[in-house]
Amino acid sequence: MKYLQTMNRKKLVVGLIYLGLLWFLLVMLVIPNINTVLFVFWQDGQFTLRAFERVLNSTRAMNALRNSFVLAPALSITVGFIGVSLVLITEYFAVKGSKILRLGYMTTLVYGGIILVSGYRFLYGRGGYLTNIFAAINPYFNVNWFEGFWAVLFVMTFATTGNHIIFLRNAMSAVDYQTVEAAKNMGAKQFTILRRIVLPVLIPPLLAVTIFTFMTALTATSAPLLVGGLNFQTINPMILQFSRMAGSRDLAALMAVFLGVATLILVALLSRLEKRGHYLSASKVKTSIVKQKIHNPVVNVLVHVYAYFMFVVYVAPVVLIILFSFTNSATIGRGQLSFSAFTFENYVNVFSRVSSYRPILVSVGFSLAASIAVAVVVIVVCRMITKHKNRLSTVIEYGFMIPWLLPAVLVALGLITTFNQPRWFMMNRVLTGTMIIMVIGYMIIRIPFTLRITRAAFFALDDALEDAARNLGAKSLYTFFRVILPIILPSVLAIFALNFSQLMQDFDMSVFLYHPLNMPLAVQIQTLTEEAAADNTAITFVYAVLMMVVSTVVLYLVYGRGSKVRE
Amino acid sequence: MISLSNIKVCFGDFVALHDISMTVEKGEFFTLLGPSGCGKTTTLRTITGFIKPEIGSVKVGDEEITHLEVEKRNIGMVFQNYALFPTMSVYENIAFGLKVKKMGKAEIKSKVDEIASKVELDQDQLGKKISQLSGGQQQRVAIARALVTSPPIICLDEPLSNLDAKLRVQLRNELKELQRKFGITTIYVTHDQEEALTLSDRIAVFNKGKIEQIGRPDEVYNQSASEFVCNFIGDINKLSKDFLDKAGAGQRGIDTNKSCYIRLERMYVNNHQENHIDSEAVVENFEYYGLYIKYTINAGGTQLKVIEKNSGASMYKMGESIKISFDPASVMQF
Repeated sequence: MKYLQTMNRKKLVVGLIYLGLLWFLLVMLVIPNINTVLFVFWQDGQFTLRAFERVLNSTRAMNALRNSFVLAPALSITVGFIGVSLVLITEYFAVKGSKILRLGYMTTLVYGGIILVSGYRFLYGRGGYLTNIFAAINPYFNVNWFEGFWAVLFVMTFATTGNHIIFLRNAMSAVDYQTVEAAKNMGAKQFTILRRIVLPVLIPPLLAVTIFTFMTALTATSAPLLVGGLNFQTINPMILQFSRMAGSRDLAALMAVFLGVATLILVALLSRLEKRGHYLSASKVKTSIVKQKIHNPVVNVLVHVYAYFMFVVYVAPVVLIILFSFTNSATIGRGQLSFSAFTFENYVNVFSRVSSYRPILVSVGFSLAASIAVAVVVIVVCRMITKHKNRLSTVIEYGFMIPWLLPAVLVALGLITTFNQPRWFMMNRVLTGTMIIMVIGYMIIRIPFTLRITRAAFFALDDALEDAARNLGAKSLYTFFRVILPIILPSVLAIFALNFSQLMQDFDMSVFLYHPLNMPLAVQIQTLTEEAAADNTAITFVYAVLMMVVSTVVLYLVYGRGSKVRE
Repeated sequence: MISLSNIKVCFGDFVALHDISMTVEKGEFFTLLGPSGCGKTTTLRTITGFIKPEIGSVKVGDEEITHLEVEKRNIGMVFQNYALFPTMSVYENIAFGLKVKKMGKAEIKSKVDEIASKVELDQDQLGKKISQLSGGQQQRVAIARALVTSPPIICLDEPLSNLDAKLRVQLRNELKELQRKFGITTIYVTHDQEEALTLSDRIAVFNKGKIEQIGRPDEVYNQSASEFVCNFIGDINKLSKDFLDKAGAGQRGIDTNKSCYIRLERMYVNNHQENHIDSEAVVENFEYYGLYIKYTINAGGTQLKVIEKNSGASMYKMGESIKISFDPASVMQF
């Protein structure tokens, strides 16, 4: 009898947890997205295609669509070329100073998104450091040269090679050097070995990263916003503009749905590629790659020149942002460095003025809250899907991956259009414009990554540990907190840190959901960059340096010390 | 001491255990032996409470524990990979069960120290992380953790299976020594027949979810109850009807229509003894093991194996004619 009572109590608790997770899944992840689709096709109580007509008749919308589909393949090509060349320079060829070069090429992992775009704009934009130099050399130089398609392509090319560096570097380490030696032994020349032996191993991950780059280009926000100018706006900035006009929200929703469908197709393609798998070494004893000296002296010099030129392109914005963050507004305005101009004034200003440090606090607050919440929710999900393997847990497992299939803008629009009125499933509370919707939005975009890594940590757990604890008399909750949690804690903390760092830099979701009184850091940077006053630039640089410090510390803690987590 | 009666365990449509009944006496070292998937671990997990049987009962003494939760059974368990908690020190691992029972710190310390000294873990080792211990030390921690709460029974699920051959033999001896020292009722799961024969007071041989035989090691080896048992334990020759008929075994009390088996060491080469059955054979191959030599021979079309102690004298050559003999009483018939 007592046994039955205990069993019933356990079932009740499990049932309540399932109920909570299902509520979260439906209310946060399913209903808002369905609502966005309905918003497009269902107006005034009837089915309509009016939004389609409006998009087709809108020059701006059609231009944005066209621009996105021009940018995506162009970016895939430029990023592919530069990404592969950088990986060959750092991992395959014997190039002097390759460790330093690699660090330089990896700087975009530390400062991405809006910071990078504003940094490039400071260098190359109107009144930018390099533009000033060019203009001084040539008085007829067009100071607005850094605007439009080429500027967006340039910025995004350097902003997105980080993925290539990470994934292709891993693939390169999978090349078995014995296959290179075998080819040499059979008389193959250096270029033949590269073309026939090494590059084919890189092709599967290269295709996957290329699709990822294509998706990134389609959903680009900050680069077209800041350097696209009037003539080169893409889908996301256009959705942003439409969503802010009451009469054009259906256009925004339709474009977001369109982006969602495009993303779904690309994710399906990505998944097919992943299933095809990578080349695995069949050697019994795999040998690590040995760097290849380039035999042709002319090619060797050209490769070195290219390598160091790229290093300067990557590192210059970071170095200049850091240096100029310690100079006064006048120096920033002139774009000329001098020792006498160095000061801590900008940092003092940022931390002494409420209006300046408020965005930092807002971003820290939202990012912390969302990172903690997403960690807790995902731990519960993982516990359920590893402990209870049934249809419901499978539905929850796949359901929580929904945000992976959808662009942030669609998720954001869904939340705005769903929770701008009282809903019974949200206890009749209006969330749009509140602080909580930011936390929810932040949580949603970090769920897929958090779930993938946490689930891997849970599946890596030895079931016998839990059995052992129970055998020694420990109850389920005690076992979880004393045995399971301490084991997965390093992974959870690493994910927490990565989520926090990413959310601190988030622009795409924030720009849709923020409240004007609680402007997060990335949106503040965008606003200040657009205003382009020297005072604003100084503050932007301080923000950028702070974000870089956060990212560097997090990346060092997570990756630099041999943690298990690899994004 | 512990008894299982008519246990049936199902996983969906698959019946993992069919009508298992057995009794393990107090202080006995009882081994569940069988190939992978035969139900030995399922039986152990039914005893420890991780699996609930569809039918049947589990009793410790007179107390029925069939539906008692795992946490309340107080049956010690050593897992295949020891399942030591990696985030805790050796001391914390051993103390875990005592802390769960909410014992005082002083009492916990005295109990941990006592058990640690019995399994020969010193204070220095108690402060170490699990990853800093050798395989043998880890085994002792697992045993100490299982025994510290003074359970009346301890279950061990293939604790030596992940170790290399040399360490396995060393730890096997340590295990036996510890079991003798504590005098605790032990239920041991293994698929290794040598382990079962050397360690056990009694062995239950499992096959396809059923017990084929329960008996002392010498009983299951010499008087196997089924074809499966005699084939599973030790090396054996199957004697064909043709071979037996030619050797005249039918007149010596052997039913040649039955399946007949004989252990390798019960066949003698060029060493006829009274009442033995003889046969001519030719050496086809040999394997040199140092301690002994295993010959593959052909006796009138039947291939057999025999072993000869390595006396240092010259070995039989391939193609050499020999005479084999065996005692009809050594033949197991099914």
